[in-house]
Amino acid sequence: MIEFKNVSKEYEQGIALGNLNLKIEAGELFVLVGPSGSGKTTLLKMINGLNKPTHGEILIAGQNIIKSDINELRHNIGYVLQSGALFPNMTVEQNAAIQLDLLGWNDEKKYQRISELMTRVGLDPTTFLQRMPSELSGGEAQRVGIVRALAGQPNIVLMDEPFSALDPISRVQLQELVMELHREIETTFVFVTHDMQEALKLADRLAVLHHGELQQVGRPQEILAHPANQYVKNFFDNDTSVAIFLQQVIDAGFGVRQTNEVAIPMGDDQTIFDWSREINDHPDQLIVVDNIILRSEDLVNYMATLRVGVIK
Amino acid sequence: MIEYLQKNAGEIITALGQHIYISVIAAVIAIAIAVPLAIVLIDHPKGGELVSQIAGVIQTIPSLAILGLLIPLVGIGTLPAIIALVLYAIMPIFQNSYSGLTNIDPILIEAADAFGVSKRFKLFRVQLPLALPMIISGIRIAVVLIIGTTTLAALIGGGGLGTYILVGIQTNDDHALVVGAVLSALLALLANAIIKILGRVSLKKIVIVIGTLLIMFGGYTITTKLLAQRTQTITIAGKMGGEPEILINMYKDLIEANNPNVNVELKPNFGGTSFLFKALNSGKVDIYPEFTGTVMQSLVQTSDKVSHNPQKSYQEAKRLLQKQFGLSYLKPMKYENNYALAVRSDDAKKYKLSTLSNLTKVSDQLTAAFDPDFYQQSDGYPGLKMTYGIEFLSVKTMEPALRYQALANRKIDVTDAYTTDPQLRQYNLTTLKDDHGFFPSYQGAPLMKTSFAKKNPQIVKSLNQLADKISTREMQEMNYQVSVKHRKAAVVANEYLIKHKLIEQ
Repeated sequence: MIEFKNVSKEYEQGIALGNLNLKIEAGELFVLVGPSGSGKTTLLKMINGLNKPTHGEILIAGQNIIKSDINELRHNIGYVLQSGALFPNMTVEQNAAIQLDLLGWNDEKKYQRISELMTRVGLDPTTFLQRMPSELSGGEAQRVGIVRALAGQPNIVLMDEPFSALDPISRVQLQELVMELHREIETTFVFVTHDMQEALKLADRLAVLHHGELQQVGRPQEILAHPANQYVKNFFDNDTSVAIFLQQVIDAGFGVRQTNEVAIPMGDDQTIFDWSREINDHPDQLIVVDNIILRSEDLVNYMATLRVGVIK
Repeated sequence: MIEYLQKNAGEIITALGQHIYISVIAAVIAIAIAVPLAIVLIDHPKGGELVSQIAGVIQTIPSLAILGLLIPLVGIGTLPAIIALVLYAIMPIFQNSYSGLTNIDPILIEAADAFGVSKRFKLFRVQLPLALPMIISGIRIAVVLIIGTTTLAALIGGGGLGTYILVGIQTNDDHALVVGAVLSALLALLANAIIKILGRVSLKKIVIVIGTLLIMFGGYTITTKLLAQRTQTITIAGKMGGEPEILINMYKDLIEANNPNVNVELKPNFGGTSFLFKALNSGKVDIYPEFTGTVMQSLVQTSDKVSHNPQKSYQEAKRLLQKQFGLSYLKPMKYENNYALAVRSDDAKKYKLSTLSNLTKVSDQLTAAFDPDFYQQSDGYPGLKMTYGIEFLSVKTMEPALRYQALANRKIDVTDAYTTDPQLRQYNLTTLKDDHGFFPSYQGAPLMKTSFAKKNPQIVKSLNQLADKISTREMQEMNYQVSVKHRKAAVVANEYLIKHKLIEQ
């Protein structure tokens, strides 16, 4: 369990975090979300002491981290950075085993542990262990980054916008991987992102930060259903309402080719919210988008395929 | 050229060895200072900036000035050369190392910190390996710089390939010049290539190689020091040129023949008058040959006019050196290296010229050309004109290097000369006797501290064997052998001493 007590961080330029209280439960996948400059990364880096609070204290399992040995603390915290941040002068194996070196594991145990994890994240050890980071794709590098963070069986894993630099396909794959890994190993994950979709998808619980202030903490559904304030409401509104166009419904495989049925024509740039209003006024009304007929049931079916959080 | 290389192979290899020795020591010391300094200052950007600026300022001081400043402090030879080279090499190594170490992607440093690595682990596994290409390129720049600048070590008796360049310039010997210049250029290229290869080798191996080199050179230095301590070593230096080099080789042979426990170290082509005089006073040089005329005109303070009488001039120089500097000026040799006027020998016969007075009568038929200094100075042509009433048909100034040839080629009929110049013999010229005693006397004699002379009476005795020896003609002949025929000064000196039974074969 990680606990922030009255934590604030002041720089010469201003306040980065203001008097913040937060508890992260052991074993949960906790997401810190907010726009850039909101203080979420500052907060994350206080957990492993890369950043020190100006006031207040941080407790891990009830122990104030200032009073514990900083390197010993860090040996039990995994860290995944943006774009992998692998050391270019070391092989994949050496990179992945850094924390094991520090923990004093012997070579054979190290090799076994790293091979096992490499296999788990979908990288064949015989192919990848002796490669240099420059020979990896972005997705592969970040998988190695995850192996490196998990190798020492840490109590806490911190992830600082780990997927922001990846292409959409790799990002989705790695999001799935993180969720699976979190289910398998009962470790606390703290994940920082500015991508609200990613936050809603991954989080057991999440905290919304803005201008160094905690706006709301809770499960995704709670926050979506009961945004604590206008800021939180807008933060999620913006992203959902403009996101889903009728074209996306058709791309998802709904609708049939035009027959001779009567249908109201709508543009592919109109959203499912425009469509909902239409159905609200005229139940059973068909619409036609670019020669494809959509029925009211298609809307319900389409919405059912979406993940929690994408719609209100 | 090939003949030259064959004849001098042994000495060239020694010079090359010295060059490499000086360069490697300087490079290793510079690395040992600059790299750790850069490491210490990684987290202190202000300190790093300050060191960069200091190193940059040192870089702008001319190397000759640094060598000059170092002589009173640490003496002559390889030590000041190495210090100067180290001072120069620190800047490129430090700047490259520092920017290599401080420009590592901050996210990598953050990653290392986040995993809780020790400072040592971070330095040796992350920072140094990542900065290594920059550090190596700094070292490469520095080593090439060092190898080039090491040629200057020859100026202060440090040895190395620069000796050949200097000798080549002074004695007009293209072979020596080419050997010195080409070998040092090749050495720089080779070192550049070797370091490039080293750059691809791991840090561990590099540390091992540097460590081994350090130990080897340390061992070498200590053993040579220990071996050298058994005998007394005295240092004899000479000014630029062939004549001083012949003289100091004679000193060496005479001293070593009579004092088996004394080892004489020679520093030929050591520099100009004031450079040598300072080195002597600071005890870095024990003995050097100096001319009476130079003593009277440049070294001691005197209100008297310089005497034209050799004996008077010597006695006065001796007295003033003792009084003003505590120096002992031993007895002079016979020859005088004076100013003189020279004519072609056939003209001398034709006009029956043997003295300057003889010249007065026929001067209105002759054209003359003089060194610009001689033409202007009161103790040169203007004074001469007054004393002897000489009136030439025409008088012009000419580059000193060209005037002998112009005379030989009959472009002119009279020029100024030094009485021991080898060209007098080469072009078959005659010098005219200064029968009214107008020119100051320049007689050569060994100069040393009085304290040194008192402590080493045996050496004084050995050197006094040369008193009143060597005629002007003999000196001229030896200069001809060395500067024109390119024979070795040591051999020419030795032959003279044997011929005149001053030492045994």
